[in-house]
Amino acid sequence: MNYIEQALAGLAESPPADLERATVVGADAGDLVAKVDSSRGPVWIAWSRTGITGLTPLFVDKTVDEFVDHHRRVAYEADVIPKLLKSEIEEALESGRSMGLSFDLRGLSSFQQSVLRTCATISNGTVRPYGWIAEELHKPGATRAVGTALAKNPIPFLIPCHRVVRSDGSVGSYAFGPEMKKELLLSEGAIAL
Amino acid sequence: MKARDASTDAEIKQVLVTNRDLGFTMLVRSCQPGIYSGARRLTHRHEDAEEVAQDTFLRAYRALDGYSDARIRDLRIRAWLWTIALNLCRDRAGHSRNETARHTGGPNAASDETPIDAASWNRRLARLSVEQRNAVVLRHVADLPIAEIAEITGRPEGTVKADVSRGLDRLRDALEREELK
Repeated sequence: MNYIEQALAGLAESPPADLERATVVGADAGDLVAKVDSSRGPVWIAWSRTGITGLTPLFVDKTVDEFVDHHRRVAYEADVIPKLLKSEIEEALESGRSMGLSFDLRGLSSFQQSVLRTCATISNGTVRPYGWIAEELHKPGATRAVGTALAKNPIPFLIPCHRVVRSDGSVGSYAFGPEMKKELLLSEGAIAL
Repeated sequence: MKARDASTDAEIKQVLVTNRDLGFTMLVRSCQPGIYSGARRLTHRHEDAEEVAQDTFLRAYRALDGYSDARIRDLRIRAWLWTIALNLCRDRAGHSRNETARHTGGPNAASDETPIDAASWNRRLARLSVEQRNAVVLRHVADLPIAEIAEITGRPEGTVKADVSRGLDRLRDALEREELK
C-alpha cells in the first residue's frame, strides 16, 4: 500500500456517539428509556415513537443496563424524557387512570395484546375476574391463558393487571407479590381490609 | 434487549429475518461507521455525512418491509447500503456545493470543525471527477472490493479499476504540485 492509499485509509472517522441511537429510534426500531419518580416510587419507563413499551420499578431493575437487558426491544437511555409524556405518566400513576396513554405492545402475541388492552379498560377502584377478560375476548375457556398473559404484562400499574383477581374474590398472584397487589387494590378502594 | 457489538453479515441477515428491529440495530452498529466515513469524504460538511449515514439506514429499514426472507438472505449488505448512500451523497453534495458557494464563495471550503489534514484531502478529492472520487473513496476509505463498487456504481469492474487508478494518479499529482509550491 503506497502513501496515498495509507493516507486515504487513515481518513476513516467514527460517527458521533449518538448517531446509532438517533438512527434506530428514528426508524422506530428501538426505544428510549428514562427514570420517572412517581407516586408508585421510581420506575423505568421505555417508549417508542408509537407509545409506552415498558415500565419496571427500580426495586426490580436497579440500573438502566439491567432494565435494557430485560426489555423486549432494543432500548437506549434518553438524555431527557419529553415533558408531556412525563407529566402524563406521573398523573396516570397518581390517579390510577391511564386511558389517555398510548401503549406500544409490538413484539407480544396478538392474544397477549388483546388481553392487555382489555385489562387497560378496567377502571380505578374496580376489580374483574380473569374469566371476565376471557369472556370479553370471546374465549371463555382461556382463563388460564389470560393469567399467563397478564403475568407477562410489560407495563404494570399503567395497564392495571393488579385489578384482575380470582373468581372467588381472592387477589391471586402478581409479578411483584400478592401483598403488593393487595396494597394497590386497598389504595384504590377496590377492596376493603 | 441489547444488540451485539460485532456481527458478521450472515448473522445480521439471520436476525433480520427473525427479529427485524434487533437485526436492524445490528446492521446500524456494524455498518454505519463505514458509511459515515465514506460519506464524510463525499460530502462537504460533517452534518451532511451524518444525514447521509442516518437516512441511508432509515431508507434501508423501510425497504426491508417489502423484502421476502429469501431476498434478505441474498442481500449483499454493504453493496445494498452503499447504493442508497451514494445517491444520498450525490444529492447532498450538490446541495452543499450551492450552500457553501453562497456562504463562503468557494465550493471546496472545508468545515471549521474538519481536521486540517482531512480538509486538505477533501479538497484534493473534490477536484476528481465524480466517478473517480466515488471509486477512490469506496475502495480506499470504505475498503470495499472492486466487484462491490462495480455493483454499487453500475459500472464495469474494469472501468472501476481505471477510475481508482486514475483518481490515485491525480491525487499524487496534486500532492506533488503542493510540495513544489
